[in-house]
Amino acid sequence: MLDKNAIGRASPPTLNEVEKGAIRRFAEAIGDYNPIYYDEEYARASGYPTIVAPPTFPASFHSAADLRELLGVGIKSLLHAEQGFDYERPIFAGDRIYVSTRVSDVFERPGMSGKMDIAVIEDEGRDEEGNLVFRARRTLVVRAAKENA
Amino acid sequence: MPARKLYFESIRVGDELPALAKAPVDRVQLSRYAGASGDYNPVHVDELYAKSVGMPSVYAPGMLVMGMLGQLISDWARGGQLRRYNVRFIKMVWPGDTVVCKGRVSDRHGSGGRYFVEIDLWAENQKGELVMKGGSQIQLFYSLEDENRQRSGQSPIVVEVPRESLVVPAPAAPEATSAQAPAAPERDRDEDDEDDDEETGEPRSGASSKKTAPREKPAAKTASLPAAKKARK
Repeated sequence: MLDKNAIGRASPPTLNEVEKGAIRRFAEAIGDYNPIYYDEEYARASGYPTIVAPPTFPASFHSAADLRELLGVGIKSLLHAEQGFDYERPIFAGDRIYVSTRVSDVFERPGMSGKMDIAVIEDEGRDEEGNLVFRARRTLVVRAAKENA
Repeated sequence: MPARKLYFESIRVGDELPALAKAPVDRVQLSRYAGASGDYNPVHVDELYAKSVGMPSVYAPGMLVMGMLGQLISDWARGGQLRRYNVRFIKMVWPGDTVVCKGRVSDRHGSGGRYFVEIDLWAENQKGELVMKGGSQIQLFYSLEDENRQRSGQSPIVVEVPRESLVVPAPAAPEATSAQAPAAPERDRDEDDEDDDEETGEPRSGASSKKTAPREKPAAKTASLPAAKKARK
C-alpha cells in the first residue's frame, strides 16, 4: 500500500510559457482545426484577446514533479483512470503559467485482482500575479515496483 | 467569420450535441500527440516496447481521447466558457479505431446573472463500445442582449433559473426528470463497471461543484447527486 505520508507532498511551481506554435501543434495532434487555436484575427473576432489553447492543453505543461519522489516508491506501472480540469479562465497564447503538482490523496480500492493503490495528483496553474488559472486532477492506479526489482 | 454563438436561453435539458466522428487513430497521430504533449511513454509510440509489455500494439493515451471529446464541447459551446471538464477512461483506443464523441445537456441553471449548462459526455469506438465518459460545465451568456450589455460594461441580465433536475421531482421515474429519455441505451453499456466508480467519483464531483459554482445553494448540490446516480441505472 502507498505511504499515506505522501499526501500533501508538492513540487515547487515551474514556469510554462504558452507559445502559439505549441498550441497549434497540440490542436493538430488532436485533429482539432477550430481556427481559435490557429488564427489570431479569428480568435479576436470570437471575443478572445488572442489565440486560445484547447481544454486539455494543460496536459502539455511540465512541472518539477517526479511522481516517484512525490509518492516515495518506485513505480512499475501507472494506469490513468480519471482526469478532471477546473478552469478559472481560458488559457491564451503568451500566458506565463506557474504549475505546481501535489499529491492530494492516496488510498486503496478493491479491484478485480485484489486491492489497487490509487493516487490522486493535483496540478495547479497560476499566472504571474498568483491568480488561479486552472486545476487539474489525475487519478492513477499505481503499481509499485518491488524492492530491488 | 466566427460561427454563431451559443446562448443559455436557447438550450434545453436533453438537447444532444451533434456527434463528432474523428478520423481513425493512426501511429503518426500517436507520435504527434507525444511530441505535442511531451508525454513520450513508450507504450504509446514504440511498437516493440508495447509488445514487450504484453500489449498487442501501441495504444492512444487517454488524454488524446479526452482532447477529442474536448473538441466536441468547444465546437458546440462557441462563445461559452468551459468551467469544468472531467472524464473516466474506460477502454483503450488502438490504431485503426474511430472515436465518436457524443454529449447531451443534463442540466441548466442560473443565478446572479451567471448561467451554466451541465453536459454528459461520452466517446465510443467504431463498435459502439464506450471508451470514455465524463461531464462538463459551461458558462454562457443568457442571450445576445446579455452579452452585448456585459461587453459594454453594463450589468448582466438576471434571471433565476433553478437546476432543472430539481424542478421536476420524480423519484419513481428518474429518467423522466432529465427530460427526453433516450439517455438509457448509451448509459446502460457500462453499467457493469459502475460500482468501482463511486468511490472516487463522488467526492470529486462534490468538490468541483463547490469550487466552480460558489453561489449555488447547498440544496442544489446534494439533490443533484442522487438524481445523476439514478439516471445511470
